[in-house]
Amino acid sequence: MKKTLRASQLVGLGLLIGLLAFSVLGMAFSPYSISQQDLNAVLDAPSSAHWLGTDHFGRSMLTRMAYAVGLSFALGVLCVVTSSLLGTALGVWAVWGGKRVDHVLGMMVNILLALPGLVVVLLFAAIVPGSFWILYLAISLVQWVEYFRVVRAITQNVIQSPARQSSEMMGFSRWYQFKRHIWPAIAPSVFTLAAFGGANAILTMASLGFVYVGIQPPLAELGLMTVELFPFYSDAPWLLAQPLVVIALMVFGFHLLAGKRV
Amino acid sequence: MKAMLLKRALQLVTVVWGVGTLTFVLMRSLPGDMAYRIAASRYGQDNVNSDAAALVRQELNLDQSAFVAYWHWLLDLLQFNLGHSLVSGLPVIDAIQHMLGHSLLLALSGLLISILIAVPIGLFCAWRGNPLDSVFMGLSSVIRATPVFVLGVLFILLFALHWNWFPVAGFGTPAHLVLPALTLALSLAAVSNRVVRDSAKQTFQAAFYQFSKVKGLSAWQTFKRHGARNIAVPVVAFFGIQLVSMIEGIVMIESLFSWPGIGHGLAHAIFARDIPVIQGAALVMGMLFVALNTLVDILCLWIDPRGAREA
Amino acid sequence: MSVLLKLTNVAVYVGDTCLLEPISLELRQGQPLTILGQTGSGKSLLAQAIMGLLPDTLSFQGEVEVFGNVLSLEERQALWGRDLVMLPQEPWHALDPLMKGIYQVSEVYQYVQGKPNHEALARAKQDLDDVGLADSAHKRPGQLSGGMAQRLAISAATAGGANVILADEPTKGLDVSRRDGIVRLLQSRSIAGSLLTITHDVAIARQLGGTLLVMKQGRLVEQGDALEVLDNPQDSYTRELIAAEPKSWTEKPLSSVDTSAETVLLAENLAIKRGGRTLFEDLSFSIKKGEVVGVVGDSGCGKSSLGDALLSMLPVSAGNITRFNNTAKPYQWLKLYQDPPSAFTASVSLGTLLEDLVRLHNIPRERISPLMTRLNLPDAILQRNCLNVSGGELQRFAILRALLLDPVFLFADEPTSRLDPITAKDVTSLLVTLARETGCAVLMVSHDPDLVRKTCDQVIAL
Repeated sequence: MKKTLRASQLVGLGLLIGLLAFSVLGMAFSPYSISQQDLNAVLDAPSSAHWLGTDHFGRSMLTRMAYAVGLSFALGVLCVVTSSLLGTALGVWAVWGGKRVDHVLGMMVNILLALPGLVVVLLFAAIVPGSFWILYLAISLVQWVEYFRVVRAITQNVIQSPARQSSEMMGFSRWYQFKRHIWPAIAPSVFTLAAFGGANAILTMASLGFVYVGIQPPLAELGLMTVELFPFYSDAPWLLAQPLVVIALMVFGFHLLAGKRV
Repeated sequence: MKAMLLKRALQLVTVVWGVGTLTFVLMRSLPGDMAYRIAASRYGQDNVNSDAAALVRQELNLDQSAFVAYWHWLLDLLQFNLGHSLVSGLPVIDAIQHMLGHSLLLALSGLLISILIAVPIGLFCAWRGNPLDSVFMGLSSVIRATPVFVLGVLFILLFALHWNWFPVAGFGTPAHLVLPALTLALSLAAVSNRVVRDSAKQTFQAAFYQFSKVKGLSAWQTFKRHGARNIAVPVVAFFGIQLVSMIEGIVMIESLFSWPGIGHGLAHAIFARDIPVIQGAALVMGMLFVALNTLVDILCLWIDPRGAREA
Repeated sequence: MSVLLKLTNVAVYVGDTCLLEPISLELRQGQPLTILGQTGSGKSLLAQAIMGLLPDTLSFQGEVEVFGNVLSLEERQALWGRDLVMLPQEPWHALDPLMKGIYQVSEVYQYVQGKPNHEALARAKQDLDDVGLADSAHKRPGQLSGGMAQRLAISAATAGGANVILADEPTKGLDVSRRDGIVRLLQSRSIAGSLLTITHDVAIARQLGGTLLVMKQGRLVEQGDALEVLDNPQDSYTRELIAAEPKSWTEKPLSSVDTSAETVLLAENLAIKRGGRTLFEDLSFSIKKGEVVGVVGDSGCGKSSLGDALLSMLPVSAGNITRFNNTAKPYQWLKLYQDPPSAFTASVSLGTLLEDLVRLHNIPRERISPLMTRLNLPDAILQRNCLNVSGGELQRFAILRALLLDPVFLFADEPTSRLDPITAKDVTSLLVTLARETGCAVLMVSHDPDLVRKTCDQVIAL
C-alpha cells in the first residue's frame, strides 16, 4: 500500500509509537521491578525518585505502567497478527475453495458468533485464570471472524468481477489474481479491521483485569491497576488517572490509525 | 421470515451447546481435587471431610468417565436443570431469574436513552452540517475511544463522589439506575449517532429524496414519507451489530456499579469458580443475545420488507 | 404560442471555471425543445439550473423566466410539481425503494393537490392503469424493469399537474424497443404545456421534433428546427454526432468472410436456463475464422449468457458446443467486457498490467508499439491506471491486450454501450477491422439492431 496516511492517522500512529517508546524505555532503564515494594513510600506523588509516584504498596508506578503498556501492546499485536492472517486466509479460501469449504467455515463462524465476544473470552479466562496465553487464544478466536466475514464478502465480489475473470481467462495464476485483484480490494478493510482489532484486544484484556478475572496480581495490567488504585482516588488521584488515561490513549490511537469506520 | 427464525433457532441451539461444552471443559480442567475444593468453598475450609467431598463428587458426576459425564451434563442442560451454586448452595435458576430482571432493566433504559441521544443528534448533524457536525462527531470519536468502564469510573468520580448527586453503586432506588444507564447509553450513542447521521446524509442526498420535492412535496412531507423509513433501515440493521457492544457493556457496567445483573453475576462466578452459576449466567446471556437479535431481525423485515438485510 | 420558459444568458460555473457557457432559449407551448450532446457537454447542468437544483458547489448566472415572470430560485422551487417538473435520469434511483409504486403517485394527489386519501388512491390507480402498470401498482421499484420504473416516475412527476416537463436522458439504459413508448408518453403528458428533453440519442431528437439545440462541452454549437438540423447539419460536430448513430454507419463490405474459411466453433441445439427460466432453446449456428457474428435482443433475453456459455463460463442446459481449433490454448478464447473500468484492476498502472501479460506468455515486445499506434493509443496511458483514462481508450487497451494473445475467438459483450456514440463508432470499427485482419472470430452482443446489422456478417436475434 503506497497510499499516504492522513493527518489524523499520523497522529494516531505517533500516539502509539510514543506509548510504545515509553514502555520499552521504562522497562529497560527503570531501576525498580514491578513487584518491588517500599512500604515507607506509599502513595507518593511523582518525584525525582519515582517519576510517576508509587502505588499503595510503594511500588514504582512508572515501572508498572511501562510493563502494563508493554503487555497490552504485546497482546494487541499478537492478536492482530494471528486473527488477521487466519481470517484473511480463510476468508479467501471460503470463496475459492468451493461450496463445501464455504459451508464448513460458515458453520464455524456461526458457532463463534452465537455468543458475544466478551462472554466467550470470559469463559475461556475461567478455564486458566490469569493466563496471558489463554487470553491471547480466546481473543484471537473471537477476532478472526470479523476479518473472515469482511474478506469473504469482498473476495466474493472480486471473484465475480470482470477484471479477475479476464485475468483468469488470459492464463494468470491464482497467486497473481490474489496479488493484483483480491489483495488490493481487501487490504484497506483488513488494515482498518486490524487497527480496531488492536484496540479491542487491549480493551478486552483491560476489561477482564477490571472485573478481576484477567491477568492476576502482582503483575501489572491496566484494567487491574484501575481497580487496585480506585480506593485511593481521593488520596492520590494522579495514580488512578494513569491507567485510565493510558487505556483511553491507546484505544484512541488505534481508532485514529484506523482512519475510518468499518 | 421462516428462514430467519430457523437461523435464530439454530443459533439458540449453538449457544446452549457452546456454553454447555465450554463450562464442562472448565469443570474437568480445574486443578487439584475438584470435589474437595468445591466442598471447601461450600462448607468452609474447616468443615470439609471426605464425606462432603464424596457427596459433591457424586452430585457433579465427577466420578464418571469424561464421555458419560459430558452426556449427562448436556442432558441436564437440555432440561434446563442448572444445578446449585457451589458457593451459596442455592438453585442457580432462582439467582438467574433475579439477575435477568435487573439486567433487562439496565439494558432497556440504557438503550432508550441512547436512542433519545443518538437520533436527534445524528439527524441534526446531517441536516445542518458543519460546524456543529464536526464538533459532535469529534466528541463521539473521543467517547467511543473511552472504554466503557473508564467512562463509568469518570461518572462515579464526578457525579457520585465529587458532587454526590447519585449513589456510587448498588440498586434499589431509581437514582441507582441513573449512572449505569447513562454510561451504557453514552457509549452506545457515541457509535450509533454516527450511523444515524451517515444514513440521514445519504438519504437527504438520494435522488428519490430530491425527486419527491420535485414532485411538489414540501420538505417536511418528503422527510415524513421518504426520509424517516429509509434512514431507519441501516440504523436498525446496525443495531443488530451493536447488540454485542451492549451485552459487553452490561458485563462491565454491572461489575463497576455492583448492579446485580447477569454480567455482574458472571464475573463474580468466574472469580469464585462457581461453575453452575457461570454456566447459567453465560447461558442466559447468550439466550438474551439471540432473543434480541431475533427482535432486530423482525424489526428490519418490518421496516424494509424487501428482505435485503445485510448480514 | 405563449412562451412558457425563457432563459437569458444562463451560465454555470464551478469557481472560475465555466461549465456551461451563457445560453439563451425559449420553450413555447406545444413546441418541444431538445438538447442534444454527449456526456460532459453540460446539458444536465442546464436542466438543474432551470429547476434550481444545482449543487451548492456550483454557481449560477443569468435569468430564468417562467410564464412571463423572472423568478428567483425559491420562487421556482415553489412551482415544483404544480407547474414545473423534472424527470430523473435513473428512475430506479429516483423512486423510493421502500414504497410501493401506487403510493408514490397517490401522495402527490394527496399532498400537492390536496385530495382526500381515497380519491388520491383512486386517481393514482387510474394513472397507473393508463400507463400499463395496473398489475404492478403494489410492487416496489426494485421489482420493476427499467421501462416500468420510468413510466411510474413519469406518472408520479406529472400527477401534481405540472405540464412543463424537463426530461434528462429519459431513455437512458432502456432497450430500443421500450424507448419509443416512453417518448410517446412524455409527448402526451406535455400536450397542454411543453417538453424540454436532454438526450445524447439522435433517434430521440428526431422522434421528438420541435426545436433542437446541439451542445458540445458546455457550448451551444447549433440550433434550429429539429428535422432541418438533423437532415442538413451545418456544424461539423453535429455531423459527427449524426454519423456516429449506427443507423447512418456505412454498410459493411459484402462477403467480407471467406466462405472457405475454417469453422472455429459450432453450436447445436443450444438451450440455456437461468433461475428456472428458459432463456432460449434450439439455437444452432457456426462461426468461421475472422467472422463477426452479432447477437441482438432485449435485456434479459440471454445474449450475454450465450457468450459466456460459448466460453464455458456457464453451463448449457441442452445442446453441444464444439470447438474446432484444437491447437488453440485456453487463453486464446477471450472476452471483452461491457464496462471497461470494471474489467481492469485499478491497483497498478496499465503499463504494469501489460508487462505482466508480456512476461506470462513471452510475447515479443516489438509487437506492442505498432498495435498501439493502430489502436490510436498514446504511450502516456501506460503510466496511468484504469480510472484515469477514458472509457474509449480503456476499451481499446482491452482490445490490445486481447490481440497480443492471438485469440481465435473473442466474445464482445456490448463493448461500446457505455461509450459516447462517436467513441463507440470508433471502437466498434477498430474491433471489427482488426478481428477480420487477424482471423479472430468475434461474437458481438448488442442491444442495438442497427449496430449489429451494419457491422456483422451474421446476426442471431434472440
